Amino acid sequence: MQPIHHILFLSALLFSTGLVVVIMKRNAIVVLLGIELMLNASNLNLIAFNQLNPALFKGQFFALFVIIVAVSEAAVGLAIILRVYQHYQTSVPDDISELKD
Amino acid sequence: MVTEIINSNWTVSCTIAALCLPLISFILACIIPNRYSWVVTITSLLLLFVSMIMACSVSLTILNNHEYWSIATTWFSLSKVHFTVGFHVDSLTVLMLPVVTIVSFLVHLYSTGYMAGDKNVKQYFAMLGFFTFSMLGLILADNLLLLFVFWELVGFSSYMLIGHWYDKPAAGAASKKAFIFNRIGDAGFLIGLMIIWANAGSFNLESLHHVEIYSWQTAATLCLFCGVIGKSAQFPLLTWLPDAMEGPTPVSALIHAATMVAAGVYLLAKLFFLFTPEALQVVAIIGTITALIASLSALVQTDIKKILAYSTLSQLGFMVLAVGTGSPQAAMLHLFTHAFFKAGLFLGAGAIIHSLHQLEHHTHQHFDVQDIRTMGGLRKELPVTFITFLICGAALSGLPFFSGFLSKDAILNSVTAWAGTSLSWKWFIVISAFAIPFLTMLYTFRLIWYVFFGENRTKAIIGQAVKFGEVPFVMRMPLIILSVCSLWFIVSPNPSEFHGWLYHTLSVTPEDGISLTTVISAGWVLLALVVSYFYFRNRSIESSTSALSQLLYNSFYLDKIYEVIITVPVNKLTALTEKIDIRWVDGFIHATVLVNVTLAHVISWFDKYIVDGGVNGMARVAGSVGSVTRSFQGGKIQLYIFWAVLGIIIFLISMLI
Repeated sequence: MQPIHHILFLSALLFSTGLVVVIMKRNAIVVLLGIELMLNASNLNLIAFNQLNPALFKGQFFALFVIIVAVSEAAVGLAIILRVYQHYQTSVPDDISELKD
Repeated sequence: MVTEIINSNWTVSCTIAALCLPLISFILACIIPNRYSWVVTITSLLLLFVSMIMACSVSLTILNNHEYWSIATTWFSLSKVHFTVGFHVDSLTVLMLPVVTIVSFLVHLYSTGYMAGDKNVKQYFAMLGFFTFSMLGLILADNLLLLFVFWELVGFSSYMLIGHWYDKPAAGAASKKAFIFNRIGDAGFLIGLMIIWANAGSFNLESLHHVEIYSWQTAATLCLFCGVIGKSAQFPLLTWLPDAMEGPTPVSALIHAATMVAAGVYLLAKLFFLFTPEALQVVAIIGTITALIASLSALVQTDIKKILAYSTLSQLGFMVLAVGTGSPQAAMLHLFTHAFFKAGLFLGAGAIIHSLHQLEHHTHQHFDVQDIRTMGGLRKELPVTFITFLICGAALSGLPFFSGFLSKDAILNSVTAWAGTSLSWKWFIVISAFAIPFLTMLYTFRLIWYVFFGENRTKAIIGQAVKFGEVPFVMRMPLIILSVCSLWFIVSPNPSEFHGWLYHTLSVTPEDGISLTTVISAGWVLLALVVSYFYFRNRSIESSTSALSQLLYNSFYLDKIYEVIITVPVNKLTALTEKIDIRWVDGFIHATVLVNVTLAHVISWFDKYIVDGGVNGMARVAGSVGSVTRSFQGGKIQLYIFWAVLGIIIFLISMLI
């Protein structure tokens, strides 16, 4: 058994990486990738905290649901990005500033 | 009883009509457009004729039944003081009404010939009508303020008429001079009015009659006499009258005979009851000085109109002297006779000038048409003018059988009676009073000998045979009428006795037969005629350069004296005030301006940087706060996420601590 805090550190690292990618990257698709990283960091947390009550595998199942939802979300997100790209001829969020004053 | 009322009403309305018709003539002349200016000559002539008939009939009616009347209306009320104005007809008015209207009508008639072709004939007739109206108003006024109003109107219309040929600089200057000299006198008049109002509390001539003699009366009457000095051109304000000869000759006739200058003597006679003995002495002395200066000056003049102007001055001085010696009746009698023969003389001079002017026009040669040195032997060329001029001249110089003799006799009688038998300074005045008719005779016949006798100098000047045309009928007729009015019967049926029908209306003194004065004055005048015949008959007038004749020619250098005493110091004062104005007043203003501008700059700076700066600063603060808060919502999704995460982190940290 890995000590739980090792996994938590990895998860925090992964979440931070995902957050930085979401904030820093210019392209919407890469931002979506960052979101996936953050979701997977939370999945790692779920699995790690499952060690505290391993009998029911609640954490693993919850992580499975998250993966499914993430897939759906990625599909929807990519679809939106595709529509945006078709409309604005770009997928960079900074360039889409029609609502700005 | 009833007929009397109707009668008096008739005279009242006739008098008002006689007063208003010249005014209507003035208004008509103003309304009628320039294209029809010939209509004006006819309308004014007609209106003046009707006015003359009415004035004469009123005078005759009142002379017969002695119904003097007055009408009055309230002009304005100041609390309890009701100021009335109205017209009053007394013996003086009755005498003056026909004089003014007859002379004015004849001048109108004469002017239709004399002024024919003048470009401003409409304005000329308008002002003649206005002049007559003002003079009639002056005669009829029953209180001093109304009289003063008309007095000023007379001055104004004379100003307009003397300056009729305003494109001549001399005419403009003469009209201004006449106006200003009259203003100087009228200032005195106005002060006199104030003194009377302050002390007597009334301007009404009737109520002033009942005022007792007080100490203020000498001052008040002397102030009023200042007005007379200005209007009747007495010493020292006499120089405007010879200068006023720049006006058209019929205007000179009107001014000298019946209107302007007569107004002064009329006022003296009308207000005679107010004059104290001391004031009357001043009046007599001023009159004598004027008469002497003027008659001596007339002896050396060469301009025909100036000779007549100086003769008017001397006669006016004579009248004023008569008032001063306590006989306004004699003065009015002389004013009456003088009006006719002086109008006749002026119109005669106008006829000569007119025909010489036409001659000048025909021969295309320029010479001075008013200079008697260009005239001579005119009795053959202008017979009608000659005879009428001779008659009027004889009346002026006071030959027996002419009206002037009788009125002068009245004055001489009053002067000798006033002086008394004891020798005093008054005898100087008596001697002067006898010297004046002598001088009058000399200058009148000097003029007549020179203009109508001798050889014709005009031909010599032009250098070719010339044919004079006698003046047109409209100009001859007034001459004839006026010369007939200069005969003795206008005053009295007896040619040696001035207590005739005319004098009766003025005075009720009994007749005392032919006095010694009458005999002496008749002989004296005849002696003067002989002297003038031998002295002037064959004497050529050269412009003498001797000091005496220059002194007389310039009427004792009065104008020069005024220039030195008044004009030069006033000019210096003007220059001084100008300097003060530029240096001190302007300097002060400039300094004030500088201070103001500096202050304004300071205030502007304060406004710009402090007041506006405060407001702008607030705006800038608000703006920067706005832009700071706005910067959080830059429309960048990732930034929103960053802030949200930062917020969560700060929240978590604060929760944990």
